[in-house]
Amino acid sequence: MIEPSWIVALGAILFGIGLLGTFYHKNAIVVLMCIELMLNAANLNFVAAASHYGDVDGWVFTAIAIAIAAAEVAIGLAILLSMYSTQETISLEAANKLRN
Amino acid sequence: MLIMSDLKDEYKHLLPLLPALLIVPILSIMGFESYEVAYLIILAPFLAFPTILIIGQIFNGQEKWKENLKEGGIIGLGSLLISFSVSFWIIIDYLTESVKFQSDSVATWFDWISFEVLQSDYTVTETTRILGVGVWIDSVTLMLLFVATFLCFLICWFSLGYMNTDPINEDRNHRFYAEFVLFAMGMFGMVLADSFLWLFIFWEIMGLCSYLLIGFYFWKDSAAYAAKKAFITTRVGDVFLMIGLLILYDIYGSLEFSVVFADPSLNGTVDSDKLFWALLMLFIGAVGKSAQFPLHVWLPDAMEGPTPVSALIHAATMVNAGLYLVARMVPFVDVSSHGVAGLDELGLIIAYIGGITAFMAASIAFVQNDIKKVLAYSTMSQLAYIFTGLGVSLWFYNHGKIEAATLVFGGSMFHLFNHAMAKGMLFMASGSVIHEVHHAHDHLHDEGTGENHDFDPQDMRNMGGLAAKMPVTSTAMMIGSMSIIGIPLIGGFWSKEAIVAKTWKASLDYEPMMMGPAILVLLTAGMTGFYMSRMWFMTFAGEPKNDVVNHVHESTPWIKEPLILLSIISAIGGFALSVLGIVKWLAKPYKYEFGIHEDSVFDQIIYELEHAFLPDDPNLRIVGWATIFLSLIVGPIVAARVHGGKLQDGESSNPLVSWLIFISDKFGSQDVSEMANSSLSEALQKRLYFDDFYEWVISKSIIPFSSFAAWFDKNIIDGAIKLIESSSVVGSMQIRRVTTGKARDYILMTAVGALSIFTLIWGVNG
Repeated sequence: MIEPSWIVALGAILFGIGLLGTFYHKNAIVVLMCIELMLNAANLNFVAAASHYGDVDGWVFTAIAIAIAAAEVAIGLAILLSMYSTQETISLEAANKLRN
Repeated sequence: MLIMSDLKDEYKHLLPLLPALLIVPILSIMGFESYEVAYLIILAPFLAFPTILIIGQIFNGQEKWKENLKEGGIIGLGSLLISFSVSFWIIIDYLTESVKFQSDSVATWFDWISFEVLQSDYTVTETTRILGVGVWIDSVTLMLLFVATFLCFLICWFSLGYMNTDPINEDRNHRFYAEFVLFAMGMFGMVLADSFLWLFIFWEIMGLCSYLLIGFYFWKDSAAYAAKKAFITTRVGDVFLMIGLLILYDIYGSLEFSVVFADPSLNGTVDSDKLFWALLMLFIGAVGKSAQFPLHVWLPDAMEGPTPVSALIHAATMVNAGLYLVARMVPFVDVSSHGVAGLDELGLIIAYIGGITAFMAASIAFVQNDIKKVLAYSTMSQLAYIFTGLGVSLWFYNHGKIEAATLVFGGSMFHLFNHAMAKGMLFMASGSVIHEVHHAHDHLHDEGTGENHDFDPQDMRNMGGLAAKMPVTSTAMMIGSMSIIGIPLIGGFWSKEAIVAKTWKASLDYEPMMMGPAILVLLTAGMTGFYMSRMWFMTFAGEPKNDVVNHVHESTPWIKEPLILLSIISAIGGFALSVLGIVKWLAKPYKYEFGIHEDSVFDQIIYELEHAFLPDDPNLRIVGWATIFLSLIVGPIVAARVHGGKLQDGESSNPLVSWLIFISDKFGSQDVSEMANSSLSEALQKRLYFDDFYEWVISKSIIPFSSFAAWFDKNIIDGAIKLIESSSVVGSMQIRRVTTGKARDYILMTAVGALSIFTLIWGVNG
C-alpha cells in the first residue's frame, strides 16, 4: 500500500507543473492540456482520500469530474477553432481583446 | 356687466353639486354611524386637490372648464360640500345622542406605527402602539369643525365670484382652488386629529398652503416676500412646538390624546417642571400660528394674498389652530380630574401675551389706511382676547376653580366662533369693496378718464360714501363690525363679556398679577370700538374721496350670498347660542346637554340677559358696564367725530345704515391732522418698529452666521468630497494598468490570490 501522502505529493507536483505550464506557454492547446493536468491532480487527491478513508464518495466525484472535464475540453477546443478561424492564430498573446 | 338672466345662468353651474348632498342620506341608510365616516371630511378635499390640479393642467384655457367648472371651483365646492354635510351630520348626531361619543378615542381605524418591544432577555413580549389613525370628537372639535367646514364652503363660493371675474387670475385659478382644498383638508384634519402628532402633521400642511396662497401673485415682490415671511415666522414657532411634542412623548411615551389625557399626572408621579416646559413650548408654537406677540409680524403682510385667502386662512380658520392647541391643554392643568398642580404660571404667561397683543394690535390698527390691514390687526387683537380668556381659564383650572374656569373656557371658545363668523364675513365684505372699486377703476381707465396708475383699490382714503353704492356689503360690514366691537346683544358681545369679566374676577378675587391683562383687555374693548367704526365710516360714510367711487356697482354674482348668510349668523347667532347654553356645553363635553335649561325659552333669555348685564358680583357689574360704555359709546363716537359724515345729496342706503350715517354726522367733525403727524402716530404706522427690529437682529446675527455656514459648506465639506473624488480618479488611473487583457496575467493573479488566501488561512489556523 502506498502512503496517501505520496499520492497527495504527486498531485501537488502535477498541479504545480500544470500551473507553471499555463503561465509559460503561449500555445492555447498546451495551456488547455495544462489545465487538464491540474484537474487530474485534483482528481488524484480525491482518489487518495477515498482509498485512505475507505469511502466511495471520492470515486464518484472523480468519475463525475472526468465526465465534466471531457465536456470542458470539447468547449475549449471549439473556442480555439473559432479563434483560429477569426485570428489565424491560437497564440494567447493575441487573445487580449478583453481589455477595453 | 351682468344682467338678470346671466345671473341665473351663473347659478345653474351649481347643478352638478346636487349628488354631493345625497351622500349623507345614503350613508345613513346604509347603516353607518356618523363618526365612522368622519374620514370623508378629510378625504373629500384630499381627493379634490390632485383632481383639480391635473384636470386643470390638461384643460386649462378651454371654454367648458372655465365656464362650467369655474376652473375647478365647482369641484372644490363639491368636495367642501361633502365635508360640510358630513360634519353637520356628526354635529346633529352628537347633540342628540352624545352617549355614543363618550369613549375616549371616538373611532380608531388602524395602527400607523407600532413596535414589538425586545426585552432584556431577548424575547419579544408586547406590541407597543405608537400611533394610530382615528378621530377625536368632543364639543370643541365639533365647534371648530363647524366653523372650518362652513366657512371654507362659503369662502369657496365667494371665490367663484371674486377670483374668476378678475382677468389677472385668468387660467391660474385651478392652482388657487387646488391649494384652497388642500388647505381645507389640513384644517379639517387638524381639528379631527386624535393625537398630537397628527395635529402637528396637518398643522404643517396648513403652513405650506398658507405659504402657497399668500404667494399666489408671486411675480409681485411684496407677495413673494410676505409668503416667505409668513412661512419662516411660523416655522420659528413650529420648532418650539416640535420640541414640546418631544418632551411630551418623553413623559408619556405616546402622543395620542386617549393615552395622554387618560391620566396626565401619571398617578401624581409626573415632573411638573418638565410638563410646564412642554406646555410652554406648545404655546410658543400656538403663538406663531395665531400671530401673537412677539411672532405677530407675518399676519399683516400676509394680506398680500387674494382676499378669499385672507378670509379663509388669516381670519377664519388657520389662525384658530393655535387657539385649538391651547384649548387642548386643559386636561393637563385641570386639577379636579387628573391634572397636574403648579402649572398656574402657564396661564399667567398666556394671559399676558394675550393682553399685550390685544392692546398692541388694536393701537396699530388705529392708523392703518389699508382696509385689509385694519382687519388683519383686528384679527390679531381678537385672537389675543381668546388667548387671554384661555390663559385665565387654565389658571382657574389649575387652582380648582372649576365653575369659573369652565365659564371662561366656554366663553373663549365661543368668542372664537363669533369672531370666525364675523371676521370671515368682514374679509369677504372687504373683498367685495376692493373688487368693485377695482372694477370701477378699470372701467374708468379703459375710457381714458382715469389716469391714476398708482391707484390702490384697498386704500380707504380712496373710498368714502360707498354705503349708497353697495347696500348689501355696507350692511354686512356694519353687522360684522358690531359683532367684533361687542355691541350689546350682537354676536361677539356674549363671548367678549365673559372673557373680560372673568379676567377681572381672577385679578380682583384671586391673583393680583392678572391685573395687567385685565386692564389691557378692558382698554382694548374701547379701542376695538374705535378702529372698527373708523374703518366703516371711512369706507361707507361721508362724501366720496375719489371719483372712482361714483362708478361702483354691486353686481358680481356669488359674492352677496355668503355675506347675507354670515350677517344673519353674526347678528343673531351669538344670542341664540348663548341662550342654548353653548358656553357650558363647550367646556363640559358629555356632561352638559345643549339646549334650554330653564323652564321656558323666555326664562332662559331673562336668565342670560341678567347674567350679562347684572351679574351678582358688584365689581363685575362695574366692569361689564365699563366695557359696554367703552365699546358702544366712546370708541364709535370718537370715530364718528373724525370720519363720519353725510352721504352725497340724494343718495341713501337701507334704513339702518342711513340712520347710522345720519347719527355719525351729528357728532360734528374733528380735525386730527396734527395727531396724525405726531411721533406716536408714526411709530404706529411703522408697526411699533417690530419689523425693523427683527430685520436688524436677523441682519446682525443670522446673516453673518449663514454666510459663514455657506463658506464652511463650500470649502470644508465640499473640499473634503472633492479631495476624495480627485484622489480616487488618480488611483484608478494607476490601477487600470494592471488590466492587460491577457488571460495569462489573469491566471497568474488568480493563482497568487488563491495562494495568499491559503497562506493566510494556514497561518491563522496553524
